[in-house]
Amino acid sequence: MAKVLMIDYEKCTGCRLCELVCSVKHEGVSNPARSRIKIVKWEMEGRYVPMSCQQCESAPCMAVCPVKAISRDEEMGRVDIDYDVCIGCRMCVAICPFGAMSFDTLAQKVIKCDFCDGDPLCVKFCEVGAIQYVDASMVSTVKQVAAAEKFTSIMQKVAAAISTV
Amino acid sequence: MEQEKTSATTAEITAKGRTTGAVRCMNCMERIRPPLGAKTFKCPHCSFEWRISWPLPKFPRIRGPVWDVNRRLTEEAMSKKGKGKK
Amino acid sequence: MALDRKIAYINLTTGEIETKPIPISIRKKFLGGRGLDMYLMYNHIKPGIDPLGPDNVAFVSAGVLVGTLASATARTHIAGKSPLTGFVGSANMGGFFAPEMRWAGFDHLVIKGKAEKPVYLWIRNGEIEIRDAENIWGKTVTETQEIIREELDDRDIKILTIGPAGEKLVRFANVMTEIKNAGGRSGMGALLGSKNLKAIAVRGTMDLKIERPAEALEYNKRVITQVISAKVSQTQGRLGTPFIWGATNSWGGIRTRNFQANQFEYCDDIEPESIDEHAIGMAGCFGCQVHCRAKYIIPDGPYKGVYDEGPEYTAQGALTAEPGCKNLVNLLVGNHLLNMYGLDILETGSLIAWAMELYEKGILSDKDTDGLELRFGNDEALIEMIHRIARREGLGDILAEGGLRAAEKIGKGSIKYLIHVKGMSNLHSDERPTPALALGIATGSRGSDHLRSRPAIDLYGLPEPVLRRIYSQPVAYDGPISSHWRDYEGKPWEVRWQELCYEAVDCLGICKYHTIFLGPNFPNFEEWSRLLYYNTGLEMSPLDIWNVADRAYTMERLFNIREGLTRKDDWLVDRYFDEPTTRGVPAACGVTIDREKFAKMIDEYYEHHGWDENGVPHPETLKKLDIDKEPSHML
Repeated sequence: MAKVLMIDYEKCTGCRLCELVCSVKHEGVSNPARSRIKIVKWEMEGRYVPMSCQQCESAPCMAVCPVKAISRDEEMGRVDIDYDVCIGCRMCVAICPFGAMSFDTLAQKVIKCDFCDGDPLCVKFCEVGAIQYVDASMVSTVKQVAAAEKFTSIMQKVAAAISTV
Repeated sequence: MEQEKTSATTAEITAKGRTTGAVRCMNCMERIRPPLGAKTFKCPHCSFEWRISWPLPKFPRIRGPVWDVNRRLTEEAMSKKGKGKK
Repeated sequence: MALDRKIAYINLTTGEIETKPIPISIRKKFLGGRGLDMYLMYNHIKPGIDPLGPDNVAFVSAGVLVGTLASATARTHIAGKSPLTGFVGSANMGGFFAPEMRWAGFDHLVIKGKAEKPVYLWIRNGEIEIRDAENIWGKTVTETQEIIREELDDRDIKILTIGPAGEKLVRFANVMTEIKNAGGRSGMGALLGSKNLKAIAVRGTMDLKIERPAEALEYNKRVITQVISAKVSQTQGRLGTPFIWGATNSWGGIRTRNFQANQFEYCDDIEPESIDEHAIGMAGCFGCQVHCRAKYIIPDGPYKGVYDEGPEYTAQGALTAEPGCKNLVNLLVGNHLLNMYGLDILETGSLIAWAMELYEKGILSDKDTDGLELRFGNDEALIEMIHRIARREGLGDILAEGGLRAAEKIGKGSIKYLIHVKGMSNLHSDERPTPALALGIATGSRGSDHLRSRPAIDLYGLPEPVLRRIYSQPVAYDGPISSHWRDYEGKPWEVRWQELCYEAVDCLGICKYHTIFLGPNFPNFEEWSRLLYYNTGLEMSPLDIWNVADRAYTMERLFNIREGLTRKDDWLVDRYFDEPTTRGVPAACGVTIDREKFAKMIDEYYEHHGWDENGVPHPETLKKLDIDKEPSHML
């Protein structure tokens, strides 16, 4: 079963360690501009959202690539770039609905999440669990449990409040 | 230098002495173990009583004194101290 | 590599900008951040200048590990001669500014002169531009950042700014970044305000090379585990810094109603657990897994629905126990206003509490307060005074000058009630029961302060062997050591050790919550030696780092002495010696600091430093630290 990155933005503390470890792992440097993951922030509202490649089943980047440099690796469940074929036209950057395909201006190439070949570092370093690497089928289960827990805790609070009246 | 960098550091060694589930009584400094979920706990060593909160499951912390109890105990101790001096 | 970041000299009078590399030889002596700032300060600030005049110099820097894999490398340091104390001015803040400055190519900024009109600096990938700031002058901390981001059309720009209080030259105004990250203490905001410098905006996409990426990643993971496995980290990540309140107020270490009690009783509503009910989540600074910054929305009152962050432990005490206020919403609102104005929360709350005591004692009259009933526990008066200080209105204008100047102006023996060291107010902690902590605030180079040398773990009653293990590296110590917080013995060494520990983290740019501050098992010299090696390639032993810290701290001492500091300035106000505590556990009750024993502690502390009985470094101490020829003007 292929795994996916499951992002829970409510848990994200906005520390950007994921950006740091991603750029160090892939480029050997600290430089969030070259990270495959990015925390989009609304600092003055305290909203932080990790954004990364969703490894789409029907990936627009793959469809738009004029030289067929982008393909799907079904076993890994990820979308791959073949840099030997890629001509750096950036059509994939333009079409990605999540902005997850970036252009690294220093290396002059497009970059995207590759799951660190099965052991995503961002996940390993995110102690709060805002980014998790789970079986694709588990995503909704995890979310169901979280939502159910929230719902029942509200119900319990309400019940407690009523009983004290 | 490489060899030296893999060994446990002083702080890592110190961390091995860490306890969980206990807090130190703010009066007598003895370790106390409030029962899971307890809201208050009287120190079995010195009788000072603390309000307990649980920031994480199984993780007690002293929220504050049980005001009336500890105030009375302090006043008693202080008046004894005063008499002792005389 | 991570050591290729530059230093920029910016003259706001002439508009000249010069950039230079930082030689490795200087790095090895001072590393970066606060350490190198202190070297620069001693070299670039002429003795006796007016701190609010154009001759003062502002230094902004990133620690040498900022932006690297060293667990919480977020810290920006700001320095200059303090407008509040006239001694070392030094402020340190978290957030995301410092790493961005490094990605933009710079480690140190030296800002001289005074701009004719309000300006801000725009720094992008090695380029520095001085830009007009007329449109942001007068704006709050968050407004300023939003306007600059819009103007430069990049939402990822990080901004260091002053608020309206800094513009008004309130002598304890902060430098701020984001919503609540504050470079507080010693009035660095007023220093920038005096230069007509409203803000510094940075954006960088330049590589910061990690010397040994694989090892750095692996070791960083180990350090993170070490940090977050600590009980204090987990509690702090859940409740924020107010978690300290529980213990401190329980035994009687909270300065209450200025200095009239050492415990704030029956205050359940402002305890961390109550504050936490209004938190909507936690936030972290760059690269930090402790995430101690609480996000909250004001639940009620005229500011209902407003988002802010904190309140930190500091705000909690300065806006509750000190002014005797027990209202949670008031605490959240006060915290918000101080963040927007860019004011030092600790100093502001402390001075207002002092003014309250003066009012209750009849030293300040209704005429002085313009009719404001400045009594302890008056929530509205507290908020009103915050506005007046920030805007310099009435009594606020007098308090905005700082405690000592205000006391001189008010007269009538008001100084007797002021709680300060070197003209800077103390945290809301009451150090009468704790000689170690008292020594720390008395000797701090920037004035009364808990982040200079506080041996907080002294309060934990740790067994002597554990204390000895911690405090006997990287240099041997075989003097006395004591587990009890009431003791005087062995504490000068603890203060000395913590002082260099905090100096070192400030040189590296790591947060103090990632070293031995609130817990005994945190990374320190040994871990830093490894982190430096993996991230920057610098081979420095734990002892080398200790020596850097010692050198930098001695530079601070030299600076202070040059500005007229004497042994008398390393002392507490009389109330510590004369007024016994009245509350808390029996050991903390009915106690004062003993003058004679305290003087002996100071002697011992000087001796550990290699200073004479007047606190002046011996020539051989300077020689040993290789700073006997300062100022050397190498940079």
